[in-house]
Amino acid sequence: MPFRTNEEWKSWFEFSDPPPASELMDFELIDLSVEEGWVECRFMGKQAFLNPGRTIQGGFLTAMLDDAMSVAAVIIQDEPSWVPTLQMTTNFLRPAQPGWIKARGEVLKRGRSAIHTSGQLWNEEGQLLATATAACIPRKL
Amino acid sequence: MSDPSETEKPLISDADMLARFRNSKKRPKCSDTLGMELLAVDQDAMTIRMGFDVSDAFSNPTGAIQGGFLTAMLDEAMSTCCIIASNVTMTAPTLELKTSYLRPLFPGRAEAIARILKFGKSTAFMESELYDADGKMVAKASATAAPKPFKRF
Repeated sequence: MPFRTNEEWKSWFEFSDPPPASELMDFELIDLSVEEGWVECRFMGKQAFLNPGRTIQGGFLTAMLDDAMSVAAVIIQDEPSWVPTLQMTTNFLRPAQPGWIKARGEVLKRGRSAIHTSGQLWNEEGQLLATATAACIPRKL
Repeated sequence: MSDPSETEKPLISDADMLARFRNSKKRPKCSDTLGMELLAVDQDAMTIRMGFDVSDAFSNPTGAIQGGFLTAMLDEAMSTCCIIASNVTMTAPTLELKTSYLRPLFPGRAEAIARILKFGKSTAFMESELYDADGKMVAKASATAAPKPFKRF
């Protein structure tokens, strides 16, 4: 049993201080499901993240995906945990312009030790920007 | 077509290339955000060394740097390596990037070493490792990129 309900997680995200990495990217929760293990959120692609081509540097997109995918892995836990990422692969489909970027993180498989997750990013026009898969190992807090 | 390896021959010395980057007044914003400083260039070996002042603004709830920002440092190192390998005529948008996270990194100093495995006409393959202030490897990445001519000039 997840240790918080969907509604409890939503108010937790609304009222608790985000970690610095999430705050830097203006993380905002859209929706989540502890039963199905997914989260939808959005991030601000800021000027500070731009590469020489004036699009968002890939690592910052990876940071958005890592945030969304880690939240998906955290909310399915039975007790408060953190989920250090072991390995992550990102595919960059389109250059990302500054502005809001929507993200979805999803648990693909909850194993006995590892959790496999996937993630996607979209721009404000709904175009797919990047996809990722990752593996993490949950640890109790 | 000429031999592709000809395009990879350095046109200026390693010291001049390093100075060109270090004195650039048009640094990309992401380089400033990451506290990036290019430390060494070896054009024959197609490697670079890069330092970072890692801000606590990148930390997750445990105080360690969120993994995506480690990837941002590795991506920065590998992309710079490509730009230098092209004699600053090409940029190399990343197509795919895999990172293995070996240890947590905490805010402070970090260094990356990046190398080009192959710099082809349409595809470049790169690798990079990130080290903490004690010299321990914290992350390792490999990436594929699609070099294309720079539009900035």
